[in-house]
Amino acid sequence: MKPWKIGRRERAALLEQGPTIREVFNGLECQHRLPAGAHREVAEAIAIARKFTREVIRPIALDTDLRCMRDHNYLPLEFVKKAAEWGLFTLFIPKIFGGKGMSFLAVYPFMEEISAGCAGLGHVIAVHYCGAATLFPSMNARIIRKVFADVAKSERAGDPHLLTIVVTEPESGTDVQEPLLIHNARPGSSVRRVEGGYVLNGKKIFISNGHLSYWHIANFIEDKGSKTDSWIQFAIPNGTPGFSFGAHEKKMGQFACVASELLFDECFVPDSLVTIRTQDPEFRDSRKGARWVCHTITDHVTGGTRTGTAAISTGIARDAYERALAYARTKQVGGAPLIDRQWAQIILADMYRNVNLSRIMYLEAAFALTLSGLFKLLFKKPVYGVIRWLPRWYFSLIAPLLDLRIATRFLRWYYYDGYPTEERNVASGWGSACKYTCSDLGLANANLALDLMGADGLRHENGAEKCFRDVKLQQIYESTNQINQLNMFYCMVAHACPEVELFK
Amino acid sequence: MNAIINDMYVAERQAFADLARDFCSKRLIEGREERDRYPFGGLMEEAIGDAAAVGFYGINSPVDYGGVEMNATMLASILERISREDAGMAAIIFANAAALEVLRVAAEQTGCADVYGRIHSLGTAPIAFQSYAGPEECELPTVDAHSLMSGGVGFLALAPIAEYAVIPARHGAGARYAYYLVALASEGVRVHDPIVSLGLRGCPAADVTFERVPATLIGTGDGPGYFDSMRASLSIAAAAISLGILKGSLRDAMRYAADRYQGGRQIIDWGQVRMMLANMAVEERIAEACLDTAYRELDSGMPGWQLTALAAAIHVGELAVRATADGVQLFGGNGYTKDYPQEKRMRDARQAQCLLGMAPLRKMALVDRVIEERL
Ligand SMILES: Cc1cc2nc3c(=O)[nH]c(=O)nc-3n(C[C@H](O)[C@H](O)[C@H](O)COP(=O)(O)OP(=O)(O)OC[C@H]3O[C@@H](n4cnc5c(N)ncnc54)[C@H](O)[C@@H]3O)c2cc1C
Repeated sequence: MKPWKIGRRERAALLEQGPTIREVFNGLECQHRLPAGAHREVAEAIAIARKFTREVIRPIALDTDLRCMRDHNYLPLEFVKKAAEWGLFTLFIPKIFGGKGMSFLAVYPFMEEISAGCAGLGHVIAVHYCGAATLFPSMNARIIRKVFADVAKSERAGDPHLLTIVVTEPESGTDVQEPLLIHNARPGSSVRRVEGGYVLNGKKIFISNGHLSYWHIANFIEDKGSKTDSWIQFAIPNGTPGFSFGAHEKKMGQFACVASELLFDECFVPDSLVTIRTQDPEFRDSRKGARWVCHTITDHVTGGTRTGTAAISTGIARDAYERALAYARTKQVGGAPLIDRQWAQIILADMYRNVNLSRIMYLEAAFALTLSGLFKLLFKKPVYGVIRWLPRWYFSLIAPLLDLRIATRFLRWYYYDGYPTEERNVASGWGSACKYTCSDLGLANANLALDLMGADGLRHENGAEKCFRDVKLQQIYESTNQINQLNMFYCMVAHACPEVELFK
Repeated sequence: MNAIINDMYVAERQAFADLARDFCSKRLIEGREERDRYPFGGLMEEAIGDAAAVGFYGINSPVDYGGVEMNATMLASILERISREDAGMAAIIFANAAALEVLRVAAEQTGCADVYGRIHSLGTAPIAFQSYAGPEECELPTVDAHSLMSGGVGFLALAPIAEYAVIPARHGAGARYAYYLVALASEGVRVHDPIVSLGLRGCPAADVTFERVPATLIGTGDGPGYFDSMRASLSIAAAAISLGILKGSLRDAMRYAADRYQGGRQIIDWGQVRMMLANMAVEERIAEACLDTAYRELDSGMPGWQLTALAAAIHVGELAVRATADGVQLFGGNGYTKDYPQEKRMRDARQAQCLLGMAPLRKMALVDRVIEERL
């Protein structure tokens, strides 16, 4: 027997040894598992984003930044209207929920493109989709339909109702976002059951886009005595009695996207706006239990949103690179063009490398989401075919079916009961890996741009210093990079080392 | 002997450092956020005035002209202290000191009495200087046969508030540059809008254009020679600014980490937080060691001290940029806000890295000298 002739069983055993194809070859797997047409959607999204960036974002990016610096209370409302005219707030919402139905795989390259124009303005759109990515894991088909029907209608009317993602509180940042720490969290907010709904009290902080948004996908711990398994999420619209906006932060960068305080003062939210509650018997008594569901909700949310932040970081890295390149081509140093200096070429080469490394990372994470994460169902070939090729009117006809409990039950069965922990780990692990890698590469590029541009790089009008200010946020939100490193370790490494204890 | 000199300098440095600390606590901590909004917020006018009163604008000018005539290490001690609280003020003192250093070097050859004599506000108001770029990085104005300057300079630190500027310019096309003193109130001077910069915003800067403005040649006109000398001594000061920022960042990060509670304990008790603090502490010690060596070599006049000074500025600048990014990170979301001084420090450290010119060009200048010496 020739040694390289490997039988089916042996081959399977070798591949199972790890790292498995399922864990680390997401892009390769997608080559054959991704439905035809998905790649075309990505190209289309990039083209739309480039046009929007060229025509809308770039011309106002630096001015908007400056304006926000001058006037802390300035909100880019005109920009929101413009993005609505282009239909960007429903571009990636499935047709069945009233959107244009472009695939979720395309959302990430789209985010990269718009962020390469301006991360702050890009965030105004991106955060809305992060809100969507927070709502979807509730798998509450009825509320998702209700919220997005409203988004679509308001977008058409020119006053779009955007979504936020609401988690952080003054006392609890890292620990309410990290399933393994949540038992020790000390959130200041409270949730009280009353007839017909819940009463919320407390304060959420750092909520991106808060003052610009309408629907707040707000996450709370319901039972302080049982924090690990009492996740409750609400879709709270503006105007809800007891809910109001506080101040918004003065921050280092990304001025166009405000970070708001959300105040809840005896705020009553009816049962009809509870999107998911893990203490419901449906989860509490399920095979995997409420604790596992809480963890999985978090990972579904963060898998999607962290990949988004990674794409945004890539956009900033690219912005820094493109600015540095343009500068080096025109700048004379010591009587010679800067770009002819070998050390300058090496800096630019590094920057180019960083952009591409960064893109590879977030795409790999996006592929993991399509194979093993939140988008899994939508990329099954038959499902994808139906979603992509059937016209929107058809979906508007069948959409009312989503109000039936069975729709929610089916989705929850698919994404919770029938969902393996191994897949969760892959999607979540890659989300964390790309989040911290891309933000580090983004900061590296911003630094390199400033190295190359010297004093000119420090000036606001040249944009490089803005990249530096903007990109720092990418290392902080969506859990700090360090927490993401630990989550990646947990998801990708620790499962093979059962003796490991985390957060000791 | 060297030891005695060193002790003397150490004591004097300490005295200046104490003075600076006093100045910081009285003038620099309160209102830091508002001052950092310049040009959209006000200037630290009182602090700028007080710095004159305590002699910070005359540290390196001759006693004969009302200065203190201290060497760069004294200046550095002051700047390091101040930068722990607000490096914007340090950048003001730095720009003025760089201008005066060019004059001092020139005066060693020619006395420069006429130039000093023209500066009516010597020691009482800071002089403008292009702190963030070496002359080879910029287009320079020209000076004609009638000593009239035309053209422009970019990013002139202190231009919006200074009465005088020390400016490199060429005497005709292609000629080597020389330094000139210009009165910014002269006819033909246009100070453009203040620059919105990444950091060190307390130190206002602007582009300035000149149209046939009287300019006084400084010294014999050996611009590159004066620049090199100035850069060597001011490199120690630049390194000190970076070190001060780094120290402030570490100090506040430790305090915050000891206060902030997450995941069931003070975050200072999480291993990763400690590791980041450890990295910053290592960076701080290395930066201090670099500066101490540079101080010692300069104070004892050791041959080659200039190279150590250049290297220290480059290295400590890099360390501070890295450390202050961690300083923000350790504060989590709060680090990104202006309610805490960490984000300002990160921006200031990055801008301070450009003092005396872009870092790659300073590295090239350093290695040119090393090669010259060794080959
Ligand atoms: C501009 C901006 C926008 C934001 N947008 C949103 C938003 O839209 N929605 C939302 O909900 N939140 C948002 N956030 C909040 C953000 O997600 C949190 O700031 C972030 O997760 C960190 O939490 P924290 O600020 O409480 O930091 P902390 O948790 O206090 O962390 C402080 C430091 O301690 C470290 N640390 C903490 N715990 C541990 C541990 N167990 N082990 C090791 N190290 C630890 C952290 O890594 C960090 O370095 C935003 C924040 C900012 C600044």
